Amino acid sequence: MTDIIEMSRIFKIFPPSLVALDDVSVAFSKGEIHAIVGENGAGKSTLMKILYGMQPADSGEILYNGKKVKFSDPGEAIQAGIGMVHQEIMLVPQYTVWENVVLGYEPVKFGIHLDAKKARELVKQKIEEFSFNLNPDAKVEDISVAARQKVEILKLLFRNVSVLIMDEPTSVLTPQEIPQLFGELKRLRDNGHTILFISHHLEEVLELSDRITVLRKGKKVGTIEAVEATKAGLAQMMVGREVIFESIRKDQSAGEVLFETIGLNYTDPDKRPRLKDVNIQVRAGEIVGVAGVEGNGQLEMVNVIMGLIEPSSGSIKAVGEDITRKPILEKRKRVAFVPQDRGNMGASVAANITENVIMTHHRLDKRFTSWAGRILDFKQASSFTDEVRKKFDVQMSSGEAVFKSLSGGNQQKVILGRELLLEAPFILLDQPTRGLDVGSIEYVHQQIIDMRAQMRGILMISADLEELFRLSDRIVVMHKGKVVANLATDNTNVTEVGYLMLEGAAYEA
Amino acid sequence: MNIITGLINGMITSATPILLAALGGSLTYYAGIFNIAMEGMMLSGAFFGMLGSYYFHSWPMGILFAILGAILMALIFILFAVVLKMDEFITGIGLNLFSVGVTTYMLRQIFKVKGAFASPEIVPIPKIDIPWIKDIPVVGEIISGQNLIVYIALLATIVVSYLVFKTRFGLRLRAAGYNRTSLDTSGVSANRIRVWSLILCGVLCGLAGSFLSLGYVTLFSEGMSAGRGWISLAAVILVSGNPTGIALISLLFGFTDGLGLFMQRSLPSQFTSMVPYVATLVALFVYSVRLKKKQKI
Amino acid sequence: MKRKVLVNVVGVLLALLLGALVMLVQGYNPLETYYRLFEYSLAPGKIAYTLSKSVPLVLTGMSASVAFASGPINLGQPGQLLMGALFATIGGLYINLPPLLMVPLLLILAMLGGALWSGVAALLKYWFNMSEFITTLMLNMIADFFTYWAINYPFFEKNANHPQTPLIAQSGWMPEWSNFNSSVIVMVLAFGVIWFIVNRSTAGYEWRLSGQNSLFSRLGGVNTSKNYIVVMLLTGALAGLAGGLVIMAGPHRFIKGIGGNYAWDGVMIAMVANTGIILTLVFGFFFSVLQTGSLGMELITAVPRELIQVLQAVIVLIVVAGRGYFETFFAKVEARRKMRERTA
Repeated sequence: MTDIIEMSRIFKIFPPSLVALDDVSVAFSKGEIHAIVGENGAGKSTLMKILYGMQPADSGEILYNGKKVKFSDPGEAIQAGIGMVHQEIMLVPQYTVWENVVLGYEPVKFGIHLDAKKARELVKQKIEEFSFNLNPDAKVEDISVAARQKVEILKLLFRNVSVLIMDEPTSVLTPQEIPQLFGELKRLRDNGHTILFISHHLEEVLELSDRITVLRKGKKVGTIEAVEATKAGLAQMMVGREVIFESIRKDQSAGEVLFETIGLNYTDPDKRPRLKDVNIQVRAGEIVGVAGVEGNGQLEMVNVIMGLIEPSSGSIKAVGEDITRKPILEKRKRVAFVPQDRGNMGASVAANITENVIMTHHRLDKRFTSWAGRILDFKQASSFTDEVRKKFDVQMSSGEAVFKSLSGGNQQKVILGRELLLEAPFILLDQPTRGLDVGSIEYVHQQIIDMRAQMRGILMISADLEELFRLSDRIVVMHKGKVVANLATDNTNVTEVGYLMLEGAAYEA
Repeated sequence: MNIITGLINGMITSATPILLAALGGSLTYYAGIFNIAMEGMMLSGAFFGMLGSYYFHSWPMGILFAILGAILMALIFILFAVVLKMDEFITGIGLNLFSVGVTTYMLRQIFKVKGAFASPEIVPIPKIDIPWIKDIPVVGEIISGQNLIVYIALLATIVVSYLVFKTRFGLRLRAAGYNRTSLDTSGVSANRIRVWSLILCGVLCGLAGSFLSLGYVTLFSEGMSAGRGWISLAAVILVSGNPTGIALISLLFGFTDGLGLFMQRSLPSQFTSMVPYVATLVALFVYSVRLKKKQKI
Repeated sequence: MKRKVLVNVVGVLLALLLGALVMLVQGYNPLETYYRLFEYSLAPGKIAYTLSKSVPLVLTGMSASVAFASGPINLGQPGQLLMGALFATIGGLYINLPPLLMVPLLLILAMLGGALWSGVAALLKYWFNMSEFITTLMLNMIADFFTYWAINYPFFEKNANHPQTPLIAQSGWMPEWSNFNSSVIVMVLAFGVIWFIVNRSTAGYEWRLSGQNSLFSRLGGVNTSKNYIVVMLLTGALAGLAGGLVIMAGPHRFIKGIGGNYAWDGVMIAMVANTGIILTLVFGFFFSVLQTGSLGMELITAVPRELIQVLQAVIVLIVVAGRGYFETFFAKVEARRKMRERTA
């Protein structure tokens, strides 16, 4: 097979000190599905963004069809026939499917007038050509995530690209939606398209791809034929050591109920019900996992529990007390909270580390202030930062350093440290390992397990089924704002939970 | 009858500059730019319009200069906010102050006066009589005989509406505001769209400025935009940029302004001058109360 | 730290250079002009006067800095200044106490006036969620007309040929020693208090964090709505204090257009100072140097003093743009250096 793309000796450094790509050379052949695998932060996305012209490389060169190229923006890459579907879907949600597909390549009349009729017709033809099962007039905000992904692919096919880069396309899909995507990708390959597929899910990679390139910490480990690869071998290449996938819980009997929601309902300002009669109980020494496709009420549940929005009805009890409408500070005496969005809910990225660490403590713990709470004690603050640094193994220069200078894993450790040291009996975790590298994920998981051993009650929302099965004693599944199942982890499996996430009901064999 | 036509004509006169500037703001609003520089663009337009008309004894040159003067400010905005990626809010504030400084400085430097400059050499923009219609009683007095810029403003409302919703540029413009990375990854530079929206905003604010100094008065005075740019910004925010909505809101402000003049018979002028600003607060109040029902985090 | 100083100094120098180019084009001698400008404001006999003139600049600057750093976009300094000035004037017209009581009383009245006006905007936000960004602007216009009415009608000085109030009681005048006006002492005190609140108090910590990320602070248990109101009132009081001092140190009466000169200066200073309290003091003084010196510049070199208005805006634009630009520039240099280390 001939190489369609050759990337050689690519370097990329993100100031101040992150070496994202360190002398990576890789070649892709025409008409293959080539997987690029590695942990989070291994440099997979960065490598593809450089190819696609979204980021400049600091050095190195790219050959495309034998010619040296350097795309300065995605527009040039698309023009040349290379398209990318991003992890976060990059469509205009307010636009219809056809508007999104033609954007940038619109047919016009009289030079400026948008020829809507023709545009719609062209898009319809493309949909039929690839039998994509999409409604060209549907608004993107109203269609499912899987359908949006199809729109992204269609958008690139409309531009006649021959190389498709897919950045973790399955991360937003349910287990049941994945085979369909794979079928479509294989069909495209058989049509002569080249597909570059970024993933860290080894099973998928083995199932789909022809060849596999493994990256680790910005370096290329090697490229192998998929038929010769095994899951364990790939995993070892990825992390440089063996990893275990099974549950890491120890047997332990749960204590009294620490936290419960009772008949929680929430209807949003547009009169759409977002939470419907949600009843969840968490006992001491128990981890309850919440599974569900994103947007099925998890966000609203977190916001209601934390007091950002008021429930329409129902109540929340923590440690025997009704906290439904208590001020947030009052809730925080009983509830520790690790949000999914570190830079938005979890920290002020512009503040320094100490300022981030003492939040909430500065109100709940008298040691942090003098003069009846009016003056901050900076000595106490910095010794507390030190405590968090030591107990949670944070790599940082000093408490004065600005929070955003920390790596993702260290940011999460700081946030965990702050929340766990609050010593609240109940802990709410929302996607606690999102965007972290494997080492940090393991660390966070161990901390969660330790909290369980200390008989705290933990409610953990996660989009990662592997994580849920590894940690949870019980898994509740949310679908369209309802809790549709409450299962003991040991009595269920990934397929069942995946089906429940998608359909909201148990499947009948 | 005279009172009513007077009130309506007053309303149209005060609405025109706000409408034009707000239409410019509508374009940048759709492009996703927090543009608060309409005030400065309008002021610069007013000054350069007066300058052009004065030197060439010609109102078309006045309009041309007004547009160029406002575009100059738009270009500075582009330099700082788009090219150097400076905060749009700070750029806008800086630019508005720059505009005040430059126009007063030039007024002093060129015409050796402080405060205001008027001269018979400045040729005003003419009023247009429409044949047939002008002879119709009452209606004729309103529809015909308005300043040229008034008709241009009306036309601009239709053109901006068409541009935003029916053209390729409009599709890209709104995409730039909704999700600029989406537009970028579609192969269209969102920055280029933003630049064009700012230049068009300059053109419209220039027209608004020319109306100030060559329309209902024929002079330039320091800071003569007098907060109209801010009011037009409020109008844009109140209707989320929709051009038709902007036209209605502008007329509403024009009406309150006319009402203020009308009330001068019974109230000190200082209070009647407050009316448009109070009206803005009231409009914002209605808007916010409506929005507040949509509880947000 | 050094880098920050450098960015500010380079930015100011660039702006001055641009001003010099403008002067050259128009046939003036820039060196002579700048010399006269700085001589007029910084010469030993003049510096006290320049300091006195910096009082309203620094106070409105601190008002804007504290507000912006804490979240509220309070653009209402001009209106709050006018209301503070009006309140102090009214107090000075109807009350007469010994100076030791009178001066503090009028200062408190001035702060009340400013806080009242910013309080209106704060309540509009608190009750109806109306953005202070627009309401404070509109309240500026309304305060302008309202005070104009006040000095035209109820507090008008009979027989004056333009709108102004009578003089306030002499006990309310800020003492002056040759060129040094004691309003500077009030400014320094206010600076000390504000610096302490911002950098040492629990409230200052919460304001800062809320300004950076209000959602995070709310989740951390901070009462952000209460803090919002407190910050609005405090910053209004600062602008009001500026207004009171303008009256008490200067013409000792409310004259038409008294606040006009300071209208947007506070906001400009806060922006160029990146809302830092110490930098606000520095730039407040620097802008006073420019404004005071512009008089001398015009007298001796015939360059119109309006040029300074242009120059101030240019300084803001260049220093702020430079700050962002230098940061990315230094980051790039760093990356390139690391790159070389690795490939070498």
